[in-house]
Amino acid sequence: MFHFQSYFSVQYLVFLLPITVILYAFLPQKARRVVLLVSSYLFFWAISGKLIVYLLFSTLSIHHIGLWLSRIQTDEEQRLQVTVKEQRKEIKACFLKKQRMVMAFAVILHIGILLTLKYTPFFASNVNTLFDFLHIGISVKIPSFLLPIGISFYTLQAVSYLFDVYRRKIPADQNLFRLALFMGFFPQIMEGPICRYSDTAHQLWEAPSIKWQNLTFGIQRILFGVMKKMVIADRLNLLIQNVFGKPQSYDGFVIMIVMVCYTIQLYMDFSGTMDLVIGSAQIFGVKLPENFQRPFFSRTISEFWKRWHITLGTWFKDYIFYPLSMSKPLKKLTARARKKVGNHFGPLLSGAIALFCVWVCNGLWHGAGWHYLFFGMYHFGLILCGNIVEPFVVRATGKLKIQRDSGWYRGMQIVRTGILVCVGELFFRAEGLRLGLDMFKKMFTNFTLTTLHDGKLFSFGMDRYDFLIVFVALIVIFMVSIWQEKGISLRAQIAAKPIALRYAVYYTLILAIVIFGAYGAGYVPVDPIYASF
Amino acid sequence: MEKLIEILEEIQPEVDYSACTDLVDGHYLDSLSILSLVADLEDAFDITIPTVEIIPDNFNSADSLWKMILRLQEEG
Repeated sequence: MFHFQSYFSVQYLVFLLPITVILYAFLPQKARRVVLLVSSYLFFWAISGKLIVYLLFSTLSIHHIGLWLSRIQTDEEQRLQVTVKEQRKEIKACFLKKQRMVMAFAVILHIGILLTLKYTPFFASNVNTLFDFLHIGISVKIPSFLLPIGISFYTLQAVSYLFDVYRRKIPADQNLFRLALFMGFFPQIMEGPICRYSDTAHQLWEAPSIKWQNLTFGIQRILFGVMKKMVIADRLNLLIQNVFGKPQSYDGFVIMIVMVCYTIQLYMDFSGTMDLVIGSAQIFGVKLPENFQRPFFSRTISEFWKRWHITLGTWFKDYIFYPLSMSKPLKKLTARARKKVGNHFGPLLSGAIALFCVWVCNGLWHGAGWHYLFFGMYHFGLILCGNIVEPFVVRATGKLKIQRDSGWYRGMQIVRTGILVCVGELFFRAEGLRLGLDMFKKMFTNFTLTTLHDGKLFSFGMDRYDFLIVFVALIVIFMVSIWQEKGISLRAQIAAKPIALRYAVYYTLILAIVIFGAYGAGYVPVDPIYASF
Repeated sequence: MEKLIEILEEIQPEVDYSACTDLVDGHYLDSLSILSLVADLEDAFDITIPTVEIIPDNFNSADSLWKMILRLQEEG
C-alpha cells in the first residue's frame, strides 16, 4: 500500500501523478473524470485511511443541503409569481428565514465537525488549567482525535459552496460526482488553494485533453516548486528544529537569524507546494487560483495579507468580514461614526469589530494553541494601527515633502513590513506562547555576535556551504520574483527560446535540485507545514 | 453618474475615475473604503447592496459601479 507523506514524496511525483496523467491522456473524456476522482480518493485513502468517511460525508451533505436550498428558492420564485406586489416582501422574508435555518444547520454541522476534531483537546486542556487555577479538584479527560488530511481546507470549500448557493451566486449542483471532484481533487486537497465552486468545479468536470503547453508549463512549475522546497526549505530545517526545539541554549543573534530563516522556510515550503499543486493541475488543463503574489514586496501588513495565502484571506473577507461589517447593526454604527469622525475613521470601528473576528478565526484556523491566537491578534493589531496612523503619515510626509512613491521610501516600507512579518512568524513557530515571548525578549537582552565571530553559528545545523547554497537560491528566486512583479511570464519567455537553450534551462533546474537539494543522510525534510493546519 | 463620481472623490480623491479600471485590484479602495462607499451608495441611490455584490468586478471602476447601481435599482 502506498503511504504518502507529502506532495514531494516519490510516491506522488513518480507514481500517482505520472500514472494519473498517462491514464488521463489515453482515455475518453468521461473516463478522465473517473480517473481524477479515483486518484483523488486513492490519495486521500493512502494518507488518512478510514478517515475518508469525513470527506465523503461532507460531500454528500453539501450535495443534499445545496439541493434543499435550491428547492426553497424555487418554491419562493413560484410563490412570488402568483403574489401581488404588496405581499411579496412578507413572502420573501418567510423564505429567507427558511433558508437561514438551513444555512445555520449546515454551518453548525460542517464547522462543528472541524471544531470538535481540531479544538476539543485544546479546549479541554484549558478547562483543566482553569480548574487547577481555581483549586477545583476536577479534571476533564483530554480526548484525542485523528484529523483527516486537509479538513481545514475542504471544510472551507464546502461552506463557501453552500453560501454561494444561498446567495444565488451559483445554482446548486445536481451532479454528486462533480461536487465530489471539486471537494477532493488530489493536488489541492492537502494544502489548498481553497477553491470556489464557480472557479474550479466545471473546469475539473470538463476534463479537457492534455495539451503540450499545459504539460510543459505544468512540469516546469512543479520543478520550480521542488527546487524551493528541497534546496531551501529542507536545507534550513535542521537549524530551525534545533533552535526552536531548545531556544534556551542560543543567544539573541542566533534566534534572530533563525527567525528570518523560519520565515523563509515557511514561504518556500508553502509557495513551493503551491507551485507543485498549481503545476499538477495545469497538466490536466485546470487553472487553480494563485495563493501567493510575491508577498515580500508588500509595503504594508495589510498588503502582505493580500499577497500571502490569498485564497484564505479572500475566504475570510467574503464569508466573515463583509457579512459582519455589512450587517444592519454595524452598518448603522458606520453611518453614525462617519457623521462624527469623517470618512476615514468612521468605518474603522465596525471594520475593526469585523477584522477582530477575522483574525481570531485566522489565528485559530492555523492551529489550536494560544500562540496561534497571539499570531492572529498581532496581525490584527498591526493592520488596525496601520489604518489609524495612515492619515497622519500622509500629512507628515506631505509636510516633509517626502515622495511616498520614491524608491527609498518604498524600500524602507518593504523592509519594515518584512521585519514585522518575521516577528509574527517567530511566535507562530515557537513551541508555545511563553517560549515565543522568551525568544523575542532574548533578541534584545542577550544579543551578541560571538557565535558569528567564533564560527559556532555554522555548527547549529547549517554550515557555511549550506548558508551559501540557500543564499544563491534565494537570489535566483528574487530575480524571478522581480520579473513576475513586472508582469513578465518567465515560462512563456523560455518557451519562445531555441530548443537547445530551453533544454539547458530545464536540465539546469533538475541538476540544481539533484546536486543542491537537501536530502539523504544528515538532512531532515520539513514536514508539509500547512498540511497540519 | 456625476453623483457617483462625487461620492468616490470624497472617499478617495487621488484617483482619475474616468480612466481607472482597477480600483480594488490596484488597492485604491481597501475594505474600509468599500464600507464607506457602500453606506454612501445605499443612502444616495436608495438601494441595498447585498454582500454577494461586493466583488472586484462590481467595484473596479466607476462604470461597473454605475451598472451595479442601475441593476439594483431595477431589481427594487
